Amino acid sequence: MGSIAYIARRLVYGVILLIGVLVLNFFLIHAAPGDPAETIAGAMGGATAEMMADIRAAYGLDKPLLTQLAIYLGRVAHGDFGMSYYFDQPVISLIAARVGPTVLLVLAAQLIAITLGVAMGVLAARKPQGLMSGFVAVVSTIGYAAPVFWTGILLIILFASIIPIFPVSGMTGARFSGGSAAYVVEVLYHLALPAFTLAIIFLAQYSRLSRASMIDVLGADYVRTARAKGLGEGKVVFKHALRNAVLPIITVAGIQFGNLISGALLVESVFNWPGMGRLAFDSVLRRDYPMLLGILFFAALMVVVANLLTDLSYRIADPRIRTGGR
Amino acid sequence: MAGPLLSIRDLKVEFATRNGPVTALDGISLDLMPGETLGVVGESGCGKSITALAAMGLIPDPPGRVAGGSILFDGEDITHADAARLRSLRGTEISMIFQEPMTSLNPVFTAGDQIAEAIMLHQKAGRAEAGRMAVELLRTVGIPEPERRARSYPHELSGGMRQRVMIAMAISCRPRVLIADEPTTALDVTVQAQIFDLMRDIQQEFGVAIMLISHDMGAIAEMADQVAVMYAGRVVETGSADAILDDPLHPYTRALIGCIPVLGKAAGLEGRMPPLAEIPGIVPPLHLLGRGCAFADRCPLAFDRCRAERPVLEGRPHRVACFAAEMEAA
Repeated sequence: MGSIAYIARRLVYGVILLIGVLVLNFFLIHAAPGDPAETIAGAMGGATAEMMADIRAAYGLDKPLLTQLAIYLGRVAHGDFGMSYYFDQPVISLIAARVGPTVLLVLAAQLIAITLGVAMGVLAARKPQGLMSGFVAVVSTIGYAAPVFWTGILLIILFASIIPIFPVSGMTGARFSGGSAAYVVEVLYHLALPAFTLAIIFLAQYSRLSRASMIDVLGADYVRTARAKGLGEGKVVFKHALRNAVLPIITVAGIQFGNLISGALLVESVFNWPGMGRLAFDSVLRRDYPMLLGILFFAALMVVVANLLTDLSYRIADPRIRTGGR
Repeated sequence: MAGPLLSIRDLKVEFATRNGPVTALDGISLDLMPGETLGVVGESGCGKSITALAAMGLIPDPPGRVAGGSILFDGEDITHADAARLRSLRGTEISMIFQEPMTSLNPVFTAGDQIAEAIMLHQKAGRAEAGRMAVELLRTVGIPEPERRARSYPHELSGGMRQRVMIAMAISCRPRVLIADEPTTALDVTVQAQIFDLMRDIQQEFGVAIMLISHDMGAIAEMADQVAVMYAGRVVETGSADAILDDPLHPYTRALIGCIPVLGKAAGLEGRMPPLAEIPGIVPPLHLLGRGCAFADRCPLAFDRCRAERPVLEGRPHRVACFAAEMEAA
């Protein structure tokens, strides 16, 4: 099967999945107790019964549920996710302003976790009974067991009061002004702690997985062949072995994207990172249904895209998948 | 006549195990003459593959280690050569092909790239030139459409083709010694014959000395000039292929030769296959070896002395380590 046909098929699946997510979330939210009209009225500072009826009519809340769903899906098909009850602004523009920081945080965390995790795993695998191997086991157990909000708060304490070298809140300094290059540096500087916090839990998994995978691959016949050719250890380990050992990492990295996004929600709250996570959290409390539906949709979209990219990189990394062989 | 190209002298290899060190090779000596084929034969677990890995300096350490003896390549003692010296020998002077062509090639690189890698490493060739040489090598080892096959990944090739790719890789830098560890065991019988033909052609063309490791006396009979029969980490009989096949002295060698299947007509049993022969019992676990001959428990000729004392290689040039054979000769 060609790559184009494969991508097309995956895109169709992705669209079907996203429609499913929309419908399911729509019903879930409407099954939750509480009346959004009251929330809106509350935000307006109280309302009479007459005003409540007006609000219901304005937001279409007086129509039957299935009609509401049909209207909603129809609008979404045109890129209209409705108005936020709370902000009274289009959901899409509110999300657009926050999706960037979240994607940045998630990708940075994933990059840190994979790079550091694989490096630790490879070092540990070279000497399975060695010191590094024990260190990886301890670090990964702690990293895996510690909840992100706790790790985050500890890091904040460490870097806010003990060694204040990293900023602990926001995406830029409060009085930041500078050119675009300075802006990039400023954002990366602020990104360090939240990205590392989010990375820790996944770092633990990747290091364990790559250690196991690397030990396995280093015992493979083709590694012996590479040595028999006269290749140096560096080429043997980092070219012949690592290329095979990262295959399971790619699979797991794809699966973990969803968890990364939900982890980002907590980390954004702890570090006051202006992403979708905070918005989602606040929208739940405010019963801002259109906002929440929009956020859930975009989170699902990110996972679908990430999985597609994962599968594509797997096809690049492993020729056996590409040509459908063993 | 020149001296041996590869000479293994009284080599001892031990492996650390839970039950303490186990002697995998117990003082074996082998000589591979230039341009000749030495067949090393024995059942699984007798130490054939360890011998091959030792010659390449590829014994996994730990748990393995060379505990004594020496390996000489062209007169140079490489037993304890440093990693850099061993790397410069591997591929250029001593090459190896392995039993499992399915798993011996890296699944994520093309056949051409894997051959070209050795050429780029040892001959300082550029990528493009090494690629062209790889295609030529694929042609030499009889792969059809070598340009296309060079771009194939291992899983896109048949078992026989993969072994040809392994051979192309092994001969890419014109080594003087080729160690072939059960090169045809994983292949169909018809493909086995083709691979042996190829190895013979390559020996003719390049003058390479081959150490052929096999459990199959039939394969050894077809290929070897000299034969060493191994049992439980020792050489029990060695000599020219003719001497060993025509006049086997050790009961183990006789049993191995008895295991070569004979077709009905040749066996004088028109249209009927004689039953396949087998050697009763198994190679004893190395850590359970007693003082006597390791083969004694399976040997039809064993007597008291065989269980009390270990025989050593006697005779020249046809050497055997067996008390029963000694008595026969006397």
